[in-house]
Amino acid sequence: MIYELTEEDMERLLQKIAEEYDVFGSKEELGEVVFSKISSFSEVSEKKSSYSPKDFLIKRSENILEIPRAEKKAVIGVKSCDLRGFYLMDLQILNKDPFYTVRRQNTLFINFVCTEMCPGGFCTSFGGPVLDDYDIQVLHIGQSYFVEADPRYERYLAGFRPASDQDVFVKHSKEFNRKYGKIELNGIEKRMKWSSKLWTEFANYCISCGACNYSCPTCYCIDVYDDETGRKKEWDSCILEGFTKTAAGNVRPDLSDRLRQRFYHKFKYYKLSKGEYLCTGCNRCVDDCPVDIDIKEVITHDYDKE
Amino acid sequence: MANLFKTRWNIIIMTLTICPYCGTGCQIEVDYSGDHYTVHGYTRSVVNEGKLCIKGYQGLSYAGSRDRITSPMIRRGDVWTEVSWDEALDYVARRLTEIRDKYGPDSIAFQASAKCTNEENYLIQKIARMMGTNNVDHCARSCHSSTVAGLIRTLGTAAATGSIRSLKSTETFFVIGSNTTEQHPIIGTTIIRQKKAGKKLIVADPRRTKLASIADVFLQFRPGSDVALLNSMMFVILKKNLIDSEFIRTRTTDFDVFAAEIEKYPPEVTEQITGVSPDLVEKAAELYAGNRPSAILYGMGITQHIHGTENVMSVSNLALMTGNIGRYGSGIFPLRGQNNVQGSSDMGALSEFYPGYIPADSDGVERFEKIWDAKLPKNIGLMLSEMFDAAIDGRVKAIYLMGENPVITEANLSDVEKGLTNLDLFVVQDIFMTETAKFAHVILPASSALEKDGTFTNTERRIQRVVAVKDPPGDAKPDWWILSQLYSRLFHREAYRSPEEIFNEIRVAIPNYSGAKYENLYPDGKQWPINDQHPEGTEILHVDRFTRGLGRFMAIPYKPPSETPDDQYPFILTTGRNYYHWHSGTMTRRSDILERESPNPYVEISVNDAKKLSIRNGQIITVESRHGSIRLPAMVTSKIPDGIVFVPFHFKEARVNLLVGENLDPYSKIPEFKVVAVRVIA
Repeated sequence: MIYELTEEDMERLLQKIAEEYDVFGSKEELGEVVFSKISSFSEVSEKKSSYSPKDFLIKRSENILEIPRAEKKAVIGVKSCDLRGFYLMDLQILNKDPFYTVRRQNTLFINFVCTEMCPGGFCTSFGGPVLDDYDIQVLHIGQSYFVEADPRYERYLAGFRPASDQDVFVKHSKEFNRKYGKIELNGIEKRMKWSSKLWTEFANYCISCGACNYSCPTCYCIDVYDDETGRKKEWDSCILEGFTKTAAGNVRPDLSDRLRQRFYHKFKYYKLSKGEYLCTGCNRCVDDCPVDIDIKEVITHDYDKE
Repeated sequence: MANLFKTRWNIIIMTLTICPYCGTGCQIEVDYSGDHYTVHGYTRSVVNEGKLCIKGYQGLSYAGSRDRITSPMIRRGDVWTEVSWDEALDYVARRLTEIRDKYGPDSIAFQASAKCTNEENYLIQKIARMMGTNNVDHCARSCHSSTVAGLIRTLGTAAATGSIRSLKSTETFFVIGSNTTEQHPIIGTTIIRQKKAGKKLIVADPRRTKLASIADVFLQFRPGSDVALLNSMMFVILKKNLIDSEFIRTRTTDFDVFAAEIEKYPPEVTEQITGVSPDLVEKAAELYAGNRPSAILYGMGITQHIHGTENVMSVSNLALMTGNIGRYGSGIFPLRGQNNVQGSSDMGALSEFYPGYIPADSDGVERFEKIWDAKLPKNIGLMLSEMFDAAIDGRVKAIYLMGENPVITEANLSDVEKGLTNLDLFVVQDIFMTETAKFAHVILPASSALEKDGTFTNTERRIQRVVAVKDPPGDAKPDWWILSQLYSRLFHREAYRSPEEIFNEIRVAIPNYSGAKYENLYPDGKQWPINDQHPEGTEILHVDRFTRGLGRFMAIPYKPPSETPDDQYPFILTTGRNYYHWHSGTMTRRSDILERESPNPYVEISVNDAKKLSIRNGQIITVESRHGSIRLPAMVTSKIPDGIVFVPFHFKEARVNLLVGENLDPYSKIPEFKVVAVRVIA
């Protein structure tokens, strides 16, 4: 069931949720959209946050000798591309990483469906901003907030006005995807070439900052290490030489090897093993890359010509 | 409507502050909640536009390290005793006063820190000078003191002439002696992005750096031959008449003497010295002079030589003769190493300058006597490298050191230790028990950049606000507070209540800072000079006139470095940093990822040399100079040419500065870290 809410209704909805959850939201501070504790719907910014909400489920760094705590958190204002990242990660780490799992099960995400494509974004290649899987999904058009909820959360919407148009999400999805078109993936998992010059070209410029991994809503790789306060896991980057290092060194000794691995993982290995590309078209890795390496080039590159 | 939002400890607080590593001064957002933080680049920043390097992302964990010092301590014999702040500060104030009264003010020396804020550096030099000594100096001596000496002579201002943003309008980049993508990564990537957009890039470096590998022209010259290389480029520019005659006529002086000297450096002749073929020199000269605006970016490769100041003046000559200065997209960019080395120099934490580069032996000092209401010394104080010598021969009895680790970072290390053990009083104000702190009598636990307020001034003269993200651990205190308490005890004056109060005094002391206020420096910093004439700051210097009036050409003859290879010591050793670590490693080596990427010391050696000496990659070898010897693993690489070896100075396991002699640039007293004759033993 799709409901049509006013701004005041949204505030009421949020207050209802706040009875059970700590509520966080995307909020504008110093011109930047960040995630922060909020106390009112009026604080929520519908702009794309400056970074993905990944840290809510995978902490940048934490002690893994502690028992994961179940904290009920709700996060409002995440963008569909970022939320979709969690559904993709689920395929690999849900029920395997206990910290991720307990947070995944106790965090309620309220995602906002974009009405305009963000600069550089290419989510339409992966289905566009209207998601099939979500907790509570919101589409803001004019004065109305169209809201649909997964059956687990349907109860929060009881009492609000059902929308007269129950196809509003389907229509929006079609219209959005038609308006912005898409970069055809075109069997990228089969097209990419191991010996492509693309990888060495990227390596010429890449400075190994890790931004592509840290910004990515689907990158889940971690490093585990011990220090004086315990055993820690922390965000890692497959671009770095120490990542997956063995006694004989890194099996991917050159930067170009490691860059290729990143794209092969996203567009080939994950597709073959899990049935999905490990990318949501959010463009965050491009936005944060200091040397403008563009993942879209991996998709559009004409490998046959090489 | 009742607000039912619960308040718990797990809130997220976003703080906008400045990365504590290099002089680029990237603005970082730190989201802090309880014991957890994440870092993002500030996308609206004019400095870094949201981008960060690996140190920005992974380098802040040092602040939460268990190794932090959390209580003031006094050493009695070999035993450290924790004491209260009052006891520690009273003791330090009493001992400093006693030593001064007994041996005179110049028996005390202060070492400031380019890692600390402007406010803290201002305060420490004020304390030194009110104690009656100009013995105050800091690590700028070892990195860009030659820039200060050189550019003040030729232009009148010792700072980058443009902004990082203006580099987007540059047509030709000339990078000399700077491994920019590793040492100032976000400036390095600005160059990469421009290069990708079709701009031209010339790189001069003994090592094949990342920028060198994508350059239009790569001049792989021998360490120490900078003047010969630059003079030969200028020879070509002169011969091909690529000079900017109008600029030279209206804006500069002493061109003729300079031009006469340049006549002696045809590239065919300098090839013997530099090892660079004349056609490459010609190509570089044509690009730099012909495809304007051109910007020169340089680092320690230019400054850390016995002719460092002359190198800087040669760079200045090159810009002046082609009119590549004072115009948007052109200019000279000394890439300042430390996050606040520009600011700490501006603050006068230098033995020859009062705040704002007022010479310490000039009448300009009288202004400070009025502002500070005190009688002040008018002489040149001891420079960093001289302080340790003076400690050895007993002229200096007490050293107060803030946030530096000279046991690792100074040249000719063994003498540093000798000096430190010969002191009546050695006070260290730091966040860790460093190799240097182990020699101290008193330790004052300070704050990291994440735990205090203040300002840093980055490499483009941008004054930016530093904002505390969290509280210091235990009893540790912000450096400004410690200094302010000491100031109050030493001079029986009221202590400063906040960094802002100190900053407001800086605005009076330094005219170039007069228009900067805490409220208008946030969130975007402002570039000095910022004053009544330039209320929004100054992006480009020397637009209509140079600070000293006319830009001055200097005739610079080539002189060989202090050490040249011979039969006994056939290799040239050059030292520096790598991408993952910072200086003595006290910060970066406490980050898991950074330490994992670079866990061990190493010596880079060329494939040919390794083959000749039967050295395998990873083999432990000995590198020995006339001054010392270290053992460390070899890294066999094509990045470095034959005959040259490179060792980073981060590692206490192999302290490369033991090998560096005490050969100083006569103008700035900077040691020659970049050229040491060594032998390599398998």
